[in-house]
Amino acid sequence: MSLTRRRFLGWIGAAGASTVLGRNADASSTVHFKGYPDSFAILHDISLCVGCRACETACNKVNELPPPDLPFKDLTVLNQKRRTTAKTFTVVNRFENEKNPKQPIFVKKQCNHCLEPACASACFVKAFKKTPEGAVSYDHSVCVGCRYCMVACPFEIPAYEYDNAFSPRVMKCTMCHPRLLEGKLPGCVEACPKEAISFGKRREILNIARERIKKHPERYIDHIYGETEMGGTSWMYITGAPFSQLGMREDLGITPAPELTSGALGAVPIVVGLWPVLLTGIYAISQRKEKVSAEEQALAVAEAVEKSEAAAKQKLTGELEKARKDAQKDKDSAIKQAVKKALDEAASVKQEASDV
Amino acid sequence: MGKVRSLLIKSIIPVAIVIVSIWGIGAYGSQSQPQEGDQKHADVIMIDMLKAFGKLERPGVEFLHDNHTKALEKTKKDCAACHLTEKDRLSLKFLRLKDDSKKQVMELYHSRCIECHKQIASAGEKAGPVECGGCHKEKPGVISIRQPMGFDKSLHFRHTKAHENKCETCHHEYDEKTKKLFHAKEKEGSCRYCHKEVTEENRISDRLASHIACIDCHRKTIAAGKKAGPFQCSGCHDPEQQAMIEKVKDVPRIKRNQPDAVLIKTSKDPIQPEARMNFTPFDHKAHEGYMDTCRVCHHEDLNACNKCHTLTGTKESKGVTLDRSMHQANAVESCKGCHDLKKADVKCAGCHSFIDRTIKEEHACLKCHIKPLQQTTEPIPKSEEPLMAKALLDSRSPVTAPFSEQMLKDIPEKVVIKALAQQYEPAEFPHRKIAQTLLKNIGDNKLAGNFHPDQMTICQGCHHNSPVSIKPPKCQSCHNKPFNENNPLAPGLLGAYHQQCMGCHKAMGMEKPVGCMECHKEKK
Repeated sequence: MSLTRRRFLGWIGAAGASTVLGRNADASSTVHFKGYPDSFAILHDISLCVGCRACETACNKVNELPPPDLPFKDLTVLNQKRRTTAKTFTVVNRFENEKNPKQPIFVKKQCNHCLEPACASACFVKAFKKTPEGAVSYDHSVCVGCRYCMVACPFEIPAYEYDNAFSPRVMKCTMCHPRLLEGKLPGCVEACPKEAISFGKRREILNIARERIKKHPERYIDHIYGETEMGGTSWMYITGAPFSQLGMREDLGITPAPELTSGALGAVPIVVGLWPVLLTGIYAISQRKEKVSAEEQALAVAEAVEKSEAAAKQKLTGELEKARKDAQKDKDSAIKQAVKKALDEAASVKQEASDV
Repeated sequence: MGKVRSLLIKSIIPVAIVIVSIWGIGAYGSQSQPQEGDQKHADVIMIDMLKAFGKLERPGVEFLHDNHTKALEKTKKDCAACHLTEKDRLSLKFLRLKDDSKKQVMELYHSRCIECHKQIASAGEKAGPVECGGCHKEKPGVISIRQPMGFDKSLHFRHTKAHENKCETCHHEYDEKTKKLFHAKEKEGSCRYCHKEVTEENRISDRLASHIACIDCHRKTIAAGKKAGPFQCSGCHDPEQQAMIEKVKDVPRIKRNQPDAVLIKTSKDPIQPEARMNFTPFDHKAHEGYMDTCRVCHHEDLNACNKCHTLTGTKESKGVTLDRSMHQANAVESCKGCHDLKKADVKCAGCHSFIDRTIKEEHACLKCHIKPLQQTTEPIPKSEEPLMAKALLDSRSPVTAPFSEQMLKDIPEKVVIKALAQQYEPAEFPHRKIAQTLLKNIGDNKLAGNFHPDQMTICQGCHHNSPVSIKPPKCQSCHNKPFNENNPLAPGLLGAYHQQCMGCHKAMGMEKPVGCMECHKEKK
């Protein structure tokens, strides 16, 4: 069967219609997910952080990560901006303090555990899951290593074990989910000597943040980073310096990543599940159509042949008849002529005989 | 042939895209402000007065005034080379008294500037530009570091001394009837009260007023061979030169018949016996000493606060009521605002940076709203108010008491903190020394003395949220496990120690300790 332009457009049209229908079904939901009601959250009070790296040390220990190149007590690593890697789930970075150059600002960076994680929405095997405790967990057993999560994360957090050839994993802060289930505090929170990171239920953490800003308006900017960013996160930050000066994106908006992608990604199950059926159906219909028309054509041809044959036969018979009639006529006239000629000859002979 | 052409087009398109994007980035980058290292000047005057006649055809001209005065000095010319004289004073305009028309002003600048530049150039000297783009530049060529100038008490005193207390030399009022300036004795105020930012009716802007008056006087004084202030731009407006202006240490009080002490009242009327709130006595004389200018508090004029700031606010006060005008947080014009700002002093910030300023303590009200010394049944005549205010002020003793012998014995000399004893040697905290230092820091500060006359208030800086006591609760009593649901704002013990110690050191501008080891000795 050859693919015609018209047929191809027909398929695309049908596929488009199915996608649109699917999206409408999703968008009809008016529920805004505000996070699990009793989930935990962590507040990083940047104004309190002294950059001692005790959190990094504790994180390395509780997650049994390989030792770093330079010891944790070596604060020269703060001279450059670092990001999280497969071997470091959290890093502290130092930033210039424009207001008071003598007192630099330290910011801890790790997975922010979004309420509606972009990584989870990008993952087509559902390796990422927002747990009711607040942590965004990762299931290595289902991961196919596509690393879409790394592309999706607006905070550039997930890292990949590139040096692990056989079973590489996506690595990121777990919010110490196993420890939370045991009733323990996350490693970094427990280790922070300044309590620059506070742990609690998300709504209580938000209250603490608001209270601190209210009490000391001269010390803080009136904004809780993570309260609404990307639809809200379970790690939140307050600071005295603008977040944009601390390497934190302020252009993320308040829409959770899944909401941005649900239209397109919500169509995936439909595309994956329904399209084969649909396309097979279209194919079957077109196949059947062809078969029917072929049959009809054959029938028509047969009929036509029959008809023409009959006509030919009839014509032939007519002509034969005519020919026979003509022949008969010829024959009769020839006989008549011969008879006449013979009669004429006989009469002339009779005349001659009488004359003689 | 066709194949070659399509190949050519295909290769040109990406190249074109790259070129366009590079050009675009370049164009974007070139719009930036002048880079560092560019020349910094305090004497930049933007010649763009043609704006008054409509849109400028070319960008305005950055004119460096001091460069021109210096160049004129070399050719033995003076201000008259560029400025005309009007009523015995130099006009600030260039070779004209007023702007008649666009054409007149433009031609004046073009002909006279270029003419002079050409003359100097022909003499072989370095001269200014003569082509259009030389003066009318699209991009700023210099950075203006001009700082506004103003009188402080010291500069005012030096002027009054030099002019033998003749206030009328500078201060004047305008008489509507005679349409003349006159001097109103003891009504003098800041120039800015009348001369506003822009010229209004017959009142010239403060910029014009100060340049006409100051420079003219300085110039004439110098011409008379006497010592006078600067008349070059940088002399007043260059931050470096501003810092070099001579300061008189103990400035005598300005004589303008101002009160020594006043009662802050809700209206001008005499005090009635049924008045509910205690009147606040205000030590005007002392505050004159604390401030650099009268303008800090008297921001619009030298009248009593309640003239504009009434109980309900007026149009003149922009709706700011008397209550707000006295208690507005962080406003330097208001009593409470200014006192709050004083708490940011490194000597005070150690304790005060931890104190929640939003809490209103009842007993603090009575520190200003002092209880009357005697109840009266008759209205108090206005003439008695200053005496009453003085008596109320004298009834206070704004001094923080020193620690007594017994207290010094009771205050532990050292406190050994063993909270991190597993990792480090116990930390030794020089408790008594710190208490004494904090008390010493208060010194004879009357503000601190008035608000915490009790020496034990100092202890409250750390031993907060519990009544004053020689044996306050231990830190652990409240600060134990972190993230206590009953008191989510209280840090745990580790957080409390570190936040309090390091927070105080930071607020007091102390550079030590650096690192953990200065408090926590390594465990042997």
